[in-house]
Formats: sequence, structure tokens, C-alpha cells
Amino acid sequence: MSRVAIVGVGQTRYSRESGRSEWQLAVEAISNALTDCGIDPGDVDGLVRYSYDNVDEAMIVRSFGLKLRYYSQTGFGGLGAPATLAHAYAAVASGQARVVVCYRSLNGRSTTRYGRAERSLGTGGGDLIATGDRAPSGAFAGPYGMLSPGQVMAMWARRYQWEAGLTEDELAAAMGRIAVDQRAYARANPDAVMGGRPLDQAGYLAGRVIATPLRIFDLALETDGAAALVVTDAAVGPRPAVWIRSAIQGLIPYAESIATYGELRNGPTYRSLGSRLLQDADVKPADLVSASIYDATSVSVLLGLEGYGIYPVNGAARAVIEHGIGPESPLPVNTSGGHLSEAYVHGMNLVIEAVRQVRGESMNQIPRSGPVLVASGPSGLVLAP
Amino acid sequence: MARADVPTIDSASAPYWEAAREGRLMIASCGACSKVHHYPRPFCPHCWSEDVHPVEATGSGTLYTYSIVYVNDLAPFKDRLPYVAAIVALDEGPRLMTTIEGADPGDLQVGMPVTAAFRPVDGDDPDSPYLTVFTPIKEHA
Ligand SMILES: [Zn+2]
Repeated sequence: MSRVAIVGVGQTRYSRESGRSEWQLAVEAISNALTDCGIDPGDVDGLVRYSYDNVDEAMIVRSFGLKLRYYSQTGFGGLGAPATLAHAYAAVASGQARVVVCYRSLNGRSTTRYGRAERSLGTGGGDLIATGDRAPSGAFAGPYGMLSPGQVMAMWARRYQWEAGLTEDELAAAMGRIAVDQRAYARANPDAVMGGRPLDQAGYLAGRVIATPLRIFDLALETDGAAALVVTDAAVGPRPAVWIRSAIQGLIPYAESIATYGELRNGPTYRSLGSRLLQDADVKPADLVSASIYDATSVSVLLGLEGYGIYPVNGAARAVIEHGIGPESPLPVNTSGGHLSEAYVHGMNLVIEAVRQVRGESMNQIPRSGPVLVASGPSGLVLAP
Repeated sequence: MARADVPTIDSASAPYWEAAREGRLMIASCGACSKVHHYPRPFCPHCWSEDVHPVEATGSGTLYTYSIVYVNDLAPFKDRLPYVAAIVALDEGPRLMTTIEGADPGDLQVGMPVTAAFRPVDGDDPDSPYLTVFTPIKEHA
């Protein structure tokens, strides 16, 4: 097995209004990640970023005086979040690069509000509606008011309820438990935007309904902030190395938009990708110590728990109602508070939390050593000490 | 003020939208493999043949999923809150995004039988595209 490790992590403060450019935020996060592992910018020879990022490679190269041998991008936003590390893993394992920095920077609240429709709507011809087949916002979705990710994921949630044979109250109990448990993690995390705001099940149920069956607490935050990670071929620096055991960057029909023409994210193709990821790491679901599961909405966590084989298909809701996703649960999930309660850095803060768990440095450290899953739909990583 | 509900129509989708004006729901059928699909596109998603042509669907299907949307500040949706967004599985197989009209949102049930109806996107515009919406099929008591 190739030896490729995440050796450095860095981030900015997470806020609703950074007052700084995305470029400044990216530079700060990358600088912090390099400091974390004691690597000099002169040794960085690879960069991976999101195609969605407004801070391009040249801006980073200029800022740090980098001399790159390798750079690449992952597409489709959060779908590719763990895949930035997959690119770094491949580049280092193949010798194309030795030290690769992955980053994501966004003013996701103060500049482009990530939960809103305008992000995906076209502006041609004075009308807002986008062309083509996307959902949300395409010509076959927008006319019906399916304009934002939350509105489409509400469709997933209702369908999941039906397929799993849940009452509306049971679905709310499961999604509420995710929101409440992630908020409890955020309470112990000084970086968490919502750390000062306790939430219990009654508070969850009293939350404003956004699009049934989703309430305000089911939806990811919108955040200004940046996060970065450093990947190389050896244990470098003062922190414990976090080895990448397997990686997958999947794409299947209708995964890239969140359209509803294809499988739910617990469907057979997703499960097959998830099982392949764990198999490549020689890990069974029961071996996992914790997980970061992309939570654009709370229902994504239920679907991810099934897609990666933690619980049987249509079994996650009842398991979560019974056990939750807290520190005592069979698999603690999103232990920083996740996108629902820590910050929305488009998946990168979830990768950082997984690294912290493997290092033993989380603010909500799970006191066992072993592999940690990072999952975002069809893309994922297994990290291990 | 821009509306967020006016579709952009292209050459592949024009037959669908034109038929909707006439009260017909078109899906696409492939001359090579005879499978159907929706939304319209320039080639078959099953066998990639370009021999695709519109065929009329029965307009009946079942409610695959739905949401009652309470928050949307874009025109015209902000003036019709809450509204129903829905996905219907047609009897022919394909799913389409739509809305359900003629029902109390509280009575909606996944799996309920529905049938297509048609109305203009913008009732004040004589040239408005028409939307395919669905209404519940009343089951006799
Ligand atoms: Zn065909």
C-alpha cells in the first residue's frame, strides 16, 4: 500500500461575515496548514482546488512563490470535497508531486449565499431561470419552485420517509437527533459558529419549517471561511501522520446536480461505491471509529450512513432515533458539529475534523484509535493512524 | 422584475413545451431501442441513438415525492407560499418535476395516483409557456 499522509491542516476563523477577500482567507488557511506540519512553501509542488473556488491556482502560486509540478481541480462542489484529497493521494503515490496542498475558500454567507437559488440560476435574458436539465433550477425544475438545494433535498427526505416506512414524526425524530447531536458537538468546539446556541429536540421541532419535511435546523449553515490540508509521502512535522488508506471520486448519473431522476444516495450504485471504498482500505463498517458525512441537510447523513454500509438500507433512521450519532453511539458522526453547526466550508472542515479524530486532537475526541470515514455522496476517504 | 419560473426552451425541448400548450404531455422515445425517457435530449440515454422523437404519455402516474415549500423570496413564489413542489413517476417509467394542484397539501401521500393538467406559467402573458402540473385522481368512496 502506498504511504501517503495528511500531515497538516489549517483554517481561518469561521463567521457570517469575514470582512476579507476569499483570496486572503485561502492564504491564511494554507499558511496555517503549512505551519501545522512545519513545511516550507518552497517545498510545496502540488495544488488541488475546487473548480467552484474563486481563488485560482495562480493566485496561490503568486502568493507563496510556489513552483508547482502538479495541479488539479475537483468538480461539482461538495460532491468532490473528499476527492481533493484523492487527487493529492494519487499525485503523491505516483510521484507526480511530493507535497500537495488542498484548499477551499468561500465567503459563503457575505458574498454568494450558498443556500440560495441565485447561485445556480442563470441570468440570461433578464430571467433568472437556468436552462437545461439541472435540479435545482433547470428548465424542468425551476418553474415549479425547485430552485435551491434545500428544496430538492426536501424531496429526498420525503421519499426516504416513504421507502423506509417511517411516520412523519419518526423522520423528524431521526433528523432532529442528527441536528441535536451535531449541535452538542459544536458546543465543545470553539470554532463552531453555532457553539453558543444549545438545541434540544423540542427546539428542533419548534424550528421554522423551510420546505417540508425539513426545518431550519436540518439545513447547512452559510459561512465565510477557508480550510486547507497538506499531503505528502512521509510522516512530517510534530503532529501524528494521518494515512490515506483509500479514496474514491465517484460520479453516476444525476449525482452531480442533485436532481431527482436517479437513485437516492442510499441506492445500489452508491452502496457499491461505498463498499468498494471500505474494501480498498481493508476496513469493515464496524471497524470505523468515527465519520464525517457531508450534511448539506440532515437527511444526507441518514442516506450516507446507509450508502456506506453503516446501517442497512432504510435502517439508519430507526438506528439514529435509538442511538443518535453522539460520542456513545455505534458510529459518532460530524464530531465538530459539521455543516449544520460548526461551519459550511463545503466539506473541507469535515475532512479536517476527520484528521483531528485520527490524530487524537478533536474537541470531541472519540477515545478509540482506528479508521475514520469521510463521505460525500459518491466521493470518500478512509483515513487511519 | 425577473421571474424565477420561466423556463428556457431549446430545440430539444421545444416539442415538449409546444405540446403542453395543447394539453399533451410528451416524453421522448427512442426509435433504436424503443425505451422512453424524460426530459427531452438530443440522443437516447439508454443506447445513444439520435433517433429520438416525442411520444404522448398517458399523463397518469403516482406521486413519487413532494415538499410543501414555506420559504422562497423569489418572484413569483414569494406571493404563493406555501406551494407544493413534487416529483411524479409516470406510468411509462420516467419521473418528472412538477407541482400538485387541486388538493389540500395536507392530503398528499407518496404513491397516490395523479393525472396531468396544463396551465400557463404566467396567466397574464398570452405567449406564456405551459406547465405540466398534476392533480390527484379522485378514488371513488
Ligand atoms: Zn435508445
